[in-house]
Amino acid sequence: MAYPYRHPSEVLVLAKYFGDPEARTLRGWEERGGYQALRKALGMAPADVVNEVKASGLRGRGGAGFPTGVKWSFMPPKGDKPHFLVCNADESEPGTFKDRELIRWTPHALLEGCLIGAYAIRAEHAYIYIRGEFFEAAQILAKAIEEAYAAGYAGQNILGSGVDIDITLHLGAGAYICGEETGLLNSLEGRRGEPRVKPPFPAIAGAFRLPTAVNNVESLIAAAHIVQNGAEWYRQWGTEKSTGTKLFCVSGHVKRPGNYELPLGFNFREFIYDVCGGTPGGRPVKAVIPGGSSVPILTGDELDIGMDYEAMAAAGTMLGCGSVIVMDDTTNLVKQVRRMVDFYAHESCGQCTPCREGTAWAARILRRIENGRGLEEDLQTLLEISDNMSGKTICVLSDAAAAPITSSIQKFRDDYLALMRREPALAARSA
Amino acid sequence: MSAAYGGADSPPSSWPQALQNPGFAGDTGEFPTLTEADVRGTAYVGERPRDGGHPGVAGTLAYQVAEKNPEAPLFEGPYAERVVKILERYPDSQAALLPVLHMAHEIRGHLSPGTMDEVAERLGLSPAYVRGVATFYSMYNLGPVGKYLIQVCTNISCNLCGGDAVLQAFLDATGTGMGETTPDGLYTVMEVECLGACGFPTAVQINERYFENVRPEDVPAILARLR
Ligand SMILES: Cc1cc2nc3c(=O)[nH]c(=O)nc-3n(C[C@H](O)[C@H](O)[C@H](O)COP(=O)(O)O)c2cc1C
Ligand code: SF4
Ligand code: FES
Repeated sequence: MAYPYRHPSEVLVLAKYFGDPEARTLRGWEERGGYQALRKALGMAPADVVNEVKASGLRGRGGAGFPTGVKWSFMPPKGDKPHFLVCNADESEPGTFKDRELIRWTPHALLEGCLIGAYAIRAEHAYIYIRGEFFEAAQILAKAIEEAYAAGYAGQNILGSGVDIDITLHLGAGAYICGEETGLLNSLEGRRGEPRVKPPFPAIAGAFRLPTAVNNVESLIAAAHIVQNGAEWYRQWGTEKSTGTKLFCVSGHVKRPGNYELPLGFNFREFIYDVCGGTPGGRPVKAVIPGGSSVPILTGDELDIGMDYEAMAAAGTMLGCGSVIVMDDTTNLVKQVRRMVDFYAHESCGQCTPCREGTAWAARILRRIENGRGLEEDLQTLLEISDNMSGKTICVLSDAAAAPITSSIQKFRDDYLALMRREPALAARSA
Repeated sequence: MSAAYGGADSPPSSWPQALQNPGFAGDTGEFPTLTEADVRGTAYVGERPRDGGHPGVAGTLAYQVAEKNPEAPLFEGPYAERVVKILERYPDSQAALLPVLHMAHEIRGHLSPGTMDEVAERLGLSPAYVRGVATFYSMYNLGPVGKYLIQVCTNISCNLCGGDAVLQAFLDATGTGMGETTPDGLYTVMEVECLGACGFPTAVQINERYFENVRPEDVPAILARLR
């Protein structure tokens, strides 16, 4: 059951127990088959767990879509050094609210995923970095961790296997950039959450400069299902290169917002008009952001594509973390782009000049245009700033900030020009 | 705002408001029998111990104390135990900084320079280092705030559904300016970035709690509930 609305097209693997308060307790979870995947994993060699996940084709659900099993296989052979698994539960990308739902309804599913991931990469310790604002979800997870320790699923000699894995819950303190994996690692170490220059990648020098794998909440939970049911089972859904199911979180102007679990490759138009019920007033869809605020915007006419990594890339955008933001024809698009750029300006960590200066400068220009004082040459300036912000910085926050600017100028130039001409129709709509 | 559908800057009134979860814990949609406790998981979580409970989760309480006292001692009684448990989970004391700052914040309500110095001393870090880290994160209040810190999301998904109007409604109802605290010390109202509850707009965080699907007309009921 996806939450809070369901649809017959859904395939429920991850979201099966959303809206079922019994499922969050240890007993309820065990009654629903919980911790069987962990038992199975502990009976396999760690390398076989990695291979099974690799064979499933599972790709990271935190935004970049890098294959999870391949990431795990980059971990160096186990020597004397400790290894770490770090679960990224920082979920702060505007439009994204899937990990919170996974944690609050099925906290034990995440613990099982973390334990299996840690076992696969031979880590003794799994840290779950959850954003500080998710206090309610964190308390649910904390309770689940205590239950898991008491039942022998975590800690020393798990289920008599001789394997030791500790789990520590770590609360963030309010910074979007701590979702970026190396910013997250710095934050975990008690530093400012500033991203690190890569290489070295976390597999070589991650948490506490030791070999580390950073995985998103949804990736780890999916990996547990793959270990339990096999790679072939997972590949029955999705496309050749985008396998399995994925949670899509929908917000904005739709009748039925919320989380839906669908096979990758599902038709995007059908998703918005059928699964989500279209816009509340039945108005035309003007624009859609398919993967969270960091990806290029599509127009309402560009929806005949599959919801998978390849099809989205072919359409010039990205699947990202599957966060669909729908805007109908009453939307003041320039205002919304300005709001997103304000966000990036606020969240830039300030290490790189193009990002620190570019986001703030672009936000100022966009605000001026929004207020009806823009000039046509401002659009050229915005495009030049965006160009300077892309591919030139330590992390991709800067590229992310440029995506809505360039895509909106390309596709919705008339909206900008209308504001410059102070057209009454548009001006009336802008709050 | 038109009666049927007010457009981009107001909440779509065609949403099934009747299904709004009691207590503004979000829209329960096709799960109308869910109660606020079911959604928030309060019965499951129960009372959390002041000493932090299991060491693996000792760093995550952050809001346990309702009445803050800027003079209260930081590292006494159960809090002394909590710090020891936190330190046990990391290879060095620097990594305990965020959890210990959360704890100080929980006890005192904000991080004054003096409080940061005490944390620095307890963890063996330099005071300047601790300030540098604390100022990076938006959840640490560096000065006093109201008893109820009201943070309204105005990021894109909430904004499309009327976030700006909800923010204005809170400012009007409390009679305060953005980021300011009411003279009785009760309310501070602020704008906040995406809270990760975008499908339940407008999302508002008040201290530790999320209020979801908030419309401007809900603001008086929410304020009444806080008291
Ligand atoms: C600015 C920025 C913010 C990010 N925020 C998140 C986040 O909140 N959650 C997340 O899982 N990944 C986030 N990522 C992606 C992570 O860097 C990383 O790729 C991911 O956690 C890896 O896990 P996965 O392979 O399971 O997707 C972010 C990346 C960037 C550049
Ligand atoms: S691109 Fe921006 S957020 Fe990323 S490291 Fe550079 S300044 Fe920081
Ligand atoms: S945009 Fe408001 S909670 Fe995400």
